[in-house]
Amino acid sequence: MSGTLVIVDHRDGRITDHSHEVLAAAVTHGSGDIDAIIVSSDTSLASQITTPGVARVIAVKVSETEPGSCTIRGAVHRVIELRNPSLVFAPFSPNLMASAPAIAAANGLGFASDVIAFASDGDTISATRSYYGGKVEADLEFPGRACTLLMLRGGVWAAAGDGAPVQVEEIAFDDDPDVRHIEYREAESTGVDITTADVLLSVGRGVGDQDAIERFESIAERLGVTLSVSRPLVDAGWISSDRQVGQSGKTVAPKLYIALGISGAVQHLAGMKGSQQIIAVNTDGNAPIFSVADLGSTCDMHDLADELEKLIG
Amino acid sequence: MKIIVCVKEVAVVGDEIEIDGIDIDRDYVDLAINEWDATAVEQAVAMREAAGSGEVVVVTVGDEGAEDTMRRALAMGGDRGIRLEALEGDHADPVGVAARIAGVIRAEQADFVLVGTQSADAAHGATGAALAGHLGWPCAAVVREMDAPTGGRAIVGRELDGGVIARTDIALPAVLTIQTGLNQPRYATLRQIKQAADKEIRTEVAAESSQHARITAMRVPVSVGGATMLGDDPAAVASRIAQLIEEAR
Amino acid sequence: MLLLSTATRRTFDGFAQWQIGLWYILSAVSTLIFLYGCWRLIRKYRAGRANGTPPQVLRSLKQVLTNSAILRRSTWSGIAHLGVFYGFIVLFAGTVILAFDDHVAVPLGFGFWHGPFYLGYSLFLDVFGAALLLGLCFFLLRRLARLRRLDYARVDGKPVSAKRARYRLDDLVFTWSLVVIGATGFVIEALRIVEYKPSFEVWAPVGYALARVLESTGLTANTASSIHFSLWWFHGLLALAFVSAIPFTKAMHMLVAPAALVERDPTVSKTLPSEPEAGYATLTDFTVAHLVDLDACTKCGKCHEVCPATNSGMPLSPRDLILDLREAAASGLKEGLVPGVVEEATLWSCMQCNACVDICPVGVQHVPIINLLRRNAIEEGSADSMLQATLEKIHTTGNSFGEQKRKRPRWVKDAGLEIPDARKQPVEILWYVGDYASFDPANQKNTIRLAQMLTAAGVDFGILYDAERTAGNDVRRAGEEGLFQMLAEENIETISGCEFERILTTDPHTFNTLRNEYPTLGAPWTSEQVVHHTELLNELLDAGVLGVTNLLSVVGTYHDPCALGRYNGIFEQPRDLIRRCGVTLNEMPRNRDNSLCCGAGGGRIWMKETAEPGSRRPAEQRIDEAVEVAGVEIFMVACPKDAVMYTDAIKTSGHADVIELRELTELVFEACGFNSATVDPVAAFDPAATDA
Repeated sequence: MSGTLVIVDHRDGRITDHSHEVLAAAVTHGSGDIDAIIVSSDTSLASQITTPGVARVIAVKVSETEPGSCTIRGAVHRVIELRNPSLVFAPFSPNLMASAPAIAAANGLGFASDVIAFASDGDTISATRSYYGGKVEADLEFPGRACTLLMLRGGVWAAAGDGAPVQVEEIAFDDDPDVRHIEYREAESTGVDITTADVLLSVGRGVGDQDAIERFESIAERLGVTLSVSRPLVDAGWISSDRQVGQSGKTVAPKLYIALGISGAVQHLAGMKGSQQIIAVNTDGNAPIFSVADLGSTCDMHDLADELEKLIG
Repeated sequence: MKIIVCVKEVAVVGDEIEIDGIDIDRDYVDLAINEWDATAVEQAVAMREAAGSGEVVVVTVGDEGAEDTMRRALAMGGDRGIRLEALEGDHADPVGVAARIAGVIRAEQADFVLVGTQSADAAHGATGAALAGHLGWPCAAVVREMDAPTGGRAIVGRELDGGVIARTDIALPAVLTIQTGLNQPRYATLRQIKQAADKEIRTEVAAESSQHARITAMRVPVSVGGATMLGDDPAAVASRIAQLIEEAR
Repeated sequence: MLLLSTATRRTFDGFAQWQIGLWYILSAVSTLIFLYGCWRLIRKYRAGRANGTPPQVLRSLKQVLTNSAILRRSTWSGIAHLGVFYGFIVLFAGTVILAFDDHVAVPLGFGFWHGPFYLGYSLFLDVFGAALLLGLCFFLLRRLARLRRLDYARVDGKPVSAKRARYRLDDLVFTWSLVVIGATGFVIEALRIVEYKPSFEVWAPVGYALARVLESTGLTANTASSIHFSLWWFHGLLALAFVSAIPFTKAMHMLVAPAALVERDPTVSKTLPSEPEAGYATLTDFTVAHLVDLDACTKCGKCHEVCPATNSGMPLSPRDLILDLREAAASGLKEGLVPGVVEEATLWSCMQCNACVDICPVGVQHVPIINLLRRNAIEEGSADSMLQATLEKIHTTGNSFGEQKRKRPRWVKDAGLEIPDARKQPVEILWYVGDYASFDPANQKNTIRLAQMLTAAGVDFGILYDAERTAGNDVRRAGEEGLFQMLAEENIETISGCEFERILTTDPHTFNTLRNEYPTLGAPWTSEQVVHHTELLNELLDAGVLGVTNLLSVVGTYHDPCALGRYNGIFEQPRDLIRRCGVTLNEMPRNRDNSLCCGAGGGRIWMKETAEPGSRRPAEQRIDEAVEVAGVEIFMVACPKDAVMYTDAIKTSGHADVIELRELTELVFEACGFNSATVDPVAAFDPAATDA
């Protein structure tokens, strides 16, 4: 067994940025030929792959532009049978969460998800992932597995592009009708666009209740900045989802990101770590948010609100 | 309608951690039901209530202590439970754990299986899909919306990056991984949990197992370039924030 | 002499035999209707479950005869009601005595209604008849003052039911009918005096004076006679109608209120019943006492006036809750009560502060009723998400902060103290620290101060370290009875393994449940063994092992915590302690049993706001009250939750530059010369730096 496959994720005619990062990671550390798999009826997607070092793009031609998870599973299974790789990479993305682990199960592959580092010395591969909300890291290996599937976390590896277009090999495949895409629906919008704000005042679970959110919203307004939130507040129905920063919300990169009462779950960090400057306040001094913040404090966010209100007057 | 819900008892970790071998020392850990799985249980129970009849079976991979969490799920409205013995190293291997669960599912003949999208402690986000792979069933992950099944299929809304929802039509039986926010899990009172003691929990040891990953080491990460801490005087922090805002404008 | 012995009057004078017969038939009919009405009420109450508390006959008798509960905080109303109460009783008894004399005594030969007895009787009845009328007039005139507590407007925005729209009318009909009966009684008496001119009738002073007035208008004996006859029948029929209507109108409180007082649980609110564990779903789940309570309410509005929720824009009025339940009971409602009769926001607004139960003159027990409705609401899934999250934290970690148990005794290590482990060695005082005192950084400072003082005083005390769980007082008051029972069981087991003389706590909520409820659940200690820190500190000062060396010359006001004060009657010990420290104590208008709840009780500190936006919260209102106290510089509290609520309220009320919070431990610490500067749970503690 040798060679590396990379499952490429795409939506609405565009290969995702996360996929480009995974391709670059595969090229840097993968073994043997690096082949990318695209499952879609749109074979022109292959031309979007320009990562130097990718040997070829295997375009599995199915009837849908947005194939269902079973189709992806079946298609990748076919390619694995054909190519016999020792490594399969995939972005750890919501879309591929339905298929990649199933592929590992059905093909008896080694498996790890949300991988933040890996190493391979030809024969053995080891991977690193975090546990307990990022408070610890663990190294994994995959004994007795001739092939291992790793789902890589986004925003860890840098994409590399603009090499020459890659050779394309087409394979025909029948769609599996068990899962069928109907349509995409954009997230709700109340008119607020947090992605254009220069400064975001972001509150998380530490805010406590819905009424406290209004307090921070008022503070944000009077400070002339925009309020954003982390996921739990949207789940609880306390605020509209267009204020949410994170993987399932918006990705933001303001000049200043003020994180109050946000622990820093991976999905949230994914949405804001590109901010130019980050200041985080959380009573838990070990919260993962401090690993991406420039400045931090363990004071209570409500005490902080009192002080901010005094300053505003 | 028979719905199987996979529920995990997760470890809740505070700000103090001690590592013991390849996992956190249990003295530093509180145990609770996984929030995603509680959402799945609520979904299953609500759908059973809407249908007027049916069965909700709770499946957990865990030691005997995990039955406390199973009782919580049963108190929410589950009918009976099946507990598969946990094995050391399970927290490394969602595909292996899923293989053992698959054995139970095959024997039960369910209409569909609900699993939380991820667990709060290991966050693999993979057990449900791996289960589907072992069973050969279709899978939809990160389900944020779910319509009642009709004609052997169900329409669900899958959450993608950026809050986009992908409306998807899936054939049953299937494995659906449930995302938080789909519903508000009901509170199970202690009284209801005590009453759930009458409901059956069957213990099983999986016939076959496979290992797809193993932890070799666990450590507290060295924070590279972590935040400069300002001390916890809120007045000082407030004025610093005000200063930073001025500079950013 | 001759005059006195012949003083009397003929009853039914000028009545034909058939008229007397008719009168007695009508009386019998009226009595039957009255009895039927009573039977209906009794049958309604008996549909309830058995009470389980012993009847409080003697205590109720005293309360009823002295009207003590009505006099509380409304002296004039109390006096007026005494007039109405005894007026009615005396007049009613007077009629009965007369009937007895007429139909029993006289035929049997021992008629007594003449002579000195008659004169005394006349005087007595006139005086009490006047008292009745004066009392009633007071009540009618008072309505003109538009008192807040008599305002029947709803506070929860629900539509006003047809029955409720008639409240004022019903009240006026009730009062006016008594006025008319009383007034016509005097007029009849006056007319009779005009007709017969008996000279001894000066013994009926009101009637006599009125007769003089009537005569001065030129009224003749003949006219008086004919008016007398018609007016007598009018008065009589009205009186009979009134009596027969008693069990169907507001007048029923004459019977039901004493019954409610008799049935009132002597430890109401201090202890809540363990059964039914699933609470009240429908009216048939109610105990007999609680069903009686619903009818006993006279709409006096004292609970409405005093309730902190009502006063801060929250959709709860204890009066309206009881009246809504009453209307539901009257309509024979068999279905669920929440929502529908009582809305969820209403139910969850209650702070279980007991101000309503405490002030109610007829013994209505709002607090346990609300609590039992909450239990059922939680079973049905009504707990708000914040409360749910907190209850889950308590279940998982044993404390409301969700912190790991190993962090509970952290303050001991942080302060560099060595405190014996009560699980491992016998101690004289087992200090049950409590969640807020253990985990909340601001309260930890006082916990450390207390520990230092106890150590310096040589007290033999220990704590339970990480085996302590939340005592559960507020879990029970929030309505999660099962979780409370589980906590109590675990805590009792832990403490049963210890050897101690007394249990100490600084938290009034913990104090209440350990003292009053745990002993009923099998705890191996008695109520007397549980002591609050203000009590212990006084003891230590008495014994001289702590001494005040530094009198604090500051002026302050003291806020009585609900669970220590109103619930358990401990008002003076904290005040003694305050004065011993040299503080000049000036009281707020609402003090002791009238203290205004800070808003944290009943589990509300774990719940969402229900008040209209922009309302002034109870704690803020309290600070507004405090800053008006002459010369006040400090606001003193004896409860960790009060400390949290008022620290916040002082800031948000805008009075932070005028008043500061001080917990009593802090005051004693300073007054006894301990060094405050070194107490910081986070910074490293240097034992050599204390004076102790």
